[in-house]
Amino acid sequence: MIRDFEYFAPKTLKEALTLWDKYGDESKIIAGGQSLLILMRQGLVAPEYLIDIKGVSELNYIESDSKKGLRIGALTTHRTIEKSPVIQDGFIVLAEMERRLASIQTRNWGTIGGNICHADPAGDPAPVLIALNATLTTASLKGERNMAVEDFCLDYFETALEHGELLTEIQIPAAPPHTSTAYTKFNVIESDMATVGVAVSITLGSSDGICQDIRIALGAVAPTPMRAKQAEAALRGKKITDNLLKEAGEIASTEVEPISDMLASEEYRRELVRVLVRRVGKEALARAKQA
Amino acid sequence: MSKYSVIGTRVNRVDGPEKVTGSAKYTFDMVLTNMLYGKILRSPYPHAKILNIDTSQAEKLIGVKAVVTGKDTLGKKQGIWRRFPELCDEEILCREKVRYIGDPVAAVAAIDEDTAEEALDLIEVEYEPLPAVFDPMEAIKEDAPQIHAGVELNINVTRHIEWGDVDEAFKKCDHIREDQFKCSSQAHMCMETHDAVASFDYSGKLTVWTSTQSSYYIQALLAGMLGLREGDVRVIKPHTGGGFGSKFELDSAQFCASVLSMKLCKPVKIVLTREEEFTATKRRTPMYYYLKLGAKKDGTLLAKEARVITEGGAYTGMGATALYLTGFFSSFPYKYPNYRYDGYRVYTNTAPTSAMRGFGAPQSVFAGESQLDMLAEDLGIDPVEIRRKNGMTPNYEVPGQAYIQSCGLHQCLDEIEKHIKKRGKLPPNRGIGIAAYGFMSGGIFNWFDTPYAFSAAIVRINIDGKVDLFTGACEIGQGSDTTLSMICAEELGIRLEDIRIHAGDTGICPPDLGAWGSRETLMNGNAVKMAAADAKRQLMEFAAAKLGANIVYDMDIKDRWIHLVDRPERGISYFDAVKEAIRGKDGEVIIGRGHYTPHRKGMISPAYSFGLQAAEVEVDPETGRYKLINVTTAHESGTVINPVGIEGQLEGAIMMAGGYGFCEDQPMDEGKILNPSIADYKLIRSLDMPETDILEIDTYEPEGPFGAKEAGEGLTNPTAGAIGNAVYKAVGVRINDLPITPEKIFRALKEKEKQGKKSK
Amino acid sequence: MKKELRLTVNGQPYELYVKPKTLLVEALRDHLGLTGTKRGCNESACGACTVILNGMAVKSCSILALQAGGGEVLTVEGLARGTELHPLQKAFLDHGAFQCGFCTAGMLMSAKALLGENPKPAKEQIKEGIDGNICRCTGYNSIIRAVTAVAKGEYKEEK
Repeated sequence: MIRDFEYFAPKTLKEALTLWDKYGDESKIIAGGQSLLILMRQGLVAPEYLIDIKGVSELNYIESDSKKGLRIGALTTHRTIEKSPVIQDGFIVLAEMERRLASIQTRNWGTIGGNICHADPAGDPAPVLIALNATLTTASLKGERNMAVEDFCLDYFETALEHGELLTEIQIPAAPPHTSTAYTKFNVIESDMATVGVAVSITLGSSDGICQDIRIALGAVAPTPMRAKQAEAALRGKKITDNLLKEAGEIASTEVEPISDMLASEEYRRELVRVLVRRVGKEALARAKQA
Repeated sequence: MSKYSVIGTRVNRVDGPEKVTGSAKYTFDMVLTNMLYGKILRSPYPHAKILNIDTSQAEKLIGVKAVVTGKDTLGKKQGIWRRFPELCDEEILCREKVRYIGDPVAAVAAIDEDTAEEALDLIEVEYEPLPAVFDPMEAIKEDAPQIHAGVELNINVTRHIEWGDVDEAFKKCDHIREDQFKCSSQAHMCMETHDAVASFDYSGKLTVWTSTQSSYYIQALLAGMLGLREGDVRVIKPHTGGGFGSKFELDSAQFCASVLSMKLCKPVKIVLTREEEFTATKRRTPMYYYLKLGAKKDGTLLAKEARVITEGGAYTGMGATALYLTGFFSSFPYKYPNYRYDGYRVYTNTAPTSAMRGFGAPQSVFAGESQLDMLAEDLGIDPVEIRRKNGMTPNYEVPGQAYIQSCGLHQCLDEIEKHIKKRGKLPPNRGIGIAAYGFMSGGIFNWFDTPYAFSAAIVRINIDGKVDLFTGACEIGQGSDTTLSMICAEELGIRLEDIRIHAGDTGICPPDLGAWGSRETLMNGNAVKMAAADAKRQLMEFAAAKLGANIVYDMDIKDRWIHLVDRPERGISYFDAVKEAIRGKDGEVIIGRGHYTPHRKGMISPAYSFGLQAAEVEVDPETGRYKLINVTTAHESGTVINPVGIEGQLEGAIMMAGGYGFCEDQPMDEGKILNPSIADYKLIRSLDMPETDILEIDTYEPEGPFGAKEAGEGLTNPTAGAIGNAVYKAVGVRINDLPITPEKIFRALKEKEKQGKKSK
Repeated sequence: MKKELRLTVNGQPYELYVKPKTLLVEALRDHLGLTGTKRGCNESACGACTVILNGMAVKSCSILALQAGGGEVLTVEGLARGTELHPLQKAFLDHGAFQCGFCTAGMLMSAKALLGENPKPAKEQIKEGIDGNICRCTGYNSIIRAVTAVAKGEYKEEK
């Protein structure tokens, strides 16, 4: 049962920030509400004030620039990202990830910003954004801050947002040449949340096929989405072979801190990481060769 | 060219227009004047004494109209096995003790749901937690806590089925296998949760609208629990959002709403939340299976022994029937010369286990068909061949137990064999597994101890020829309204649109035991056919008189035309005949009456339907994840009355039974169900659903109306077994405990690899 | 404190006063009496409450009524024109694409939204389109057949 609350529907970012600053701990921000309303219906979250920012249209946009890359407003819905020609052209992995996120109904109303701020360790977007080397901007009445998406999630359902701060934009840098990203998540029911999520981004040297850079981002295997940095190190600067990918998978499976729960045991999650890092790495490599 | 005009045709459901327009009203939608909303307080402990319940604070909350506890009831216990009072062990509103997490202890009626929910928090219950036991293997030990007074070792029910001499027979076998299996629980997950609107009026009559599979059972049980005359309780079934076995016992929503309404003389509505639905309604019976199977080296089965322990949960419910049926159907669909079954239902401090579509047979088929495939492999015999060698045939007597008239199992085997050949050589890591089954068409037993015929129907023909069909049968989605209307129309020789069915209202319909045990088509179908035949006979008397034909000619009605069979052009329209008949009866409408109770058909079922299912899966050997590619079923159910209905039942059964094998589970920790939400209870959605195909098999069952028998429950028997066999064919590992998850397959593959390395 | 909510439902404008915590599904069912849309869970997982808001399929249990303010909602009650059923409704009838009927309103709205965005969907896209809706009775395949039939043009919409 949802407890009564006072409701505000600011139309501009400035109004939203003012309210958020004023009511702070006694309030909650709602955008798409696809996560928040579940918690409120179950009585787990019961704010006195609810600040509905879904109508702050200035935060709903996708802008692309060949030099600067992609900028996505925090209130862009998952479905908009999924269907965006700009994203399908230049950052298809984002569309692929969105397509497997929950259901169409959820994607029609839920926002990417809301998802990132919910900070569910099994969330689909975060590993992909981290693999894409994404950054984000937060704003408050005091000004703006920028940070890597990787640094934004601090713990289970906890972000680096400070008092009065809202997430406003996600930036994905233009990919260097011969770069591509692939993603998959493991589940039993097709549209289910991730038991394990893996995103790999590979940048190859133009002539020599050597892996210039690699980012392996994992979800649902730690309290926050994480990078498998040791696994990356095993591949960076080398020519990637099947054996190396296999090794990277092995290493990554030791870096993660998964839990055992109803979906899977800790050991099984490690095994999935081992297999999927290798597979997704192979896919990313193939895509990078064509990029 | 079909000899039938209505049955066997593809028709739109009679309740279709209401459902597709959203105008169908369910109990969930009901709003009555002055209606209050109820909520139930449930035990957080799996086993505890109730020391005291203080409702005073809750009663003071503005908007709360009443708070009731067990003290406000007559303190009776009820159960559906009324013939055996010791099995009627459930008070619903507990007075002295709670026996599972979710056991009700109090209920509130308030002006709205939010207030009622708030009031629950204000009820203070003092519990004295008792030691609890969750596993039947533990509960059966000497030192286990006793859950029901006087029930030693928590053994609630035992069942024994035997013929021949298995011990002697095993000595003659060339090959014997012993295997163990664990069958999990499953939630019905009806889209409409349990709900009820109860309205007690000042004349002392109670009316209850509820989502139910049996208005009659609810009427009788409520009357007993509330101290009312059965005739003063009227249960009405509005459109109902699914049942699957969960809704023919008296539930907490119905009982608590009634108790509250009787106190206030106002309507009270209770709708269980999805969480309550998962935790506090009954569920499929988990079973520990031990099977011993013996055969000659040519594959002839000589003996089978089954020992089963079931997790009973806190109360009996229909669990005794599930215990019996799993043992009975463990002998299906093969001719065992020697068979022995011993079943034990053990109380545990978990949510009660009871009836769910298949009723113990999905469990027996999973275990039995897995083992049979293993035996076949041991002997080097093809899985279809071993089934063919031993499969039941028409007019077979299960020694001392049951007589099977029609049986199309062998045709099913032939069709599936063809299907498997057509699939051709499969790519690596893909496999097709089969499972055979036979299931009842309506249970007999009469453990409810009803004095009524099992099914009854009344047909009333009005002056304009429109027919009102009154039946207690309950449409829960399975299509009984349409199927029964079709039978009525066929028998009367008129059209489906001439029939209007009134079903599931105890105030106006004759009693029917309800929609469970696959009985509506056969049992209620027979009653409807008889009632229609009775009305037809009365009509024909007047038609015959009117036509005055030579006595050698007999007459019939087809498509609203009453005619001489040999001279069809001579006749009278049905509509004219109706007018004549009613005038001839001094203005009285034509009433036809029918009923059906299977006599001299044994105690189990008057007929059985059979089938064989092939499931094709593809496994990813590195992760164990697998996809259900195709499920093809050859099912014989006698004459097909409602083909669209049967297809729907089959595809729906595959989703549910496939889910039982593939993903559905209710893991528990200390009696607490860990996944009481749809987000966490995994079930098959459209992207996970395999291709499905039905292979038509032609049979005729003399006991059924127009030769029909069931198609709804039998279809849930085979899928888990077929999936298990398919996974084995695909990647060579056997999972003997349900559900068959990727992790289990992965671990089994790793183990197999290790064994392989060891033996090198 | 109740707030004013103006929205159009099935082509009709409405003015309601609702508590902010009111969900869209509650506004539709309890305030407007449009009980065709159902609720089957408390965790946004079953899809029974699906309606079309501003042209998009959404779960009405997961949207505050106030968030739909100024918007256009289409529920199952808005599909038929008088007694003339929508092609999807006719197809569902002909293909037996429902049994107990409790998920049907949501299913129809998801199907309508899908065809609105993509009038000729492939089978896989239809499956995706209804994947957010659970049906416990039909096994989905009859629903897919019904939607396919409409997409193929087997049911002409009356103008």
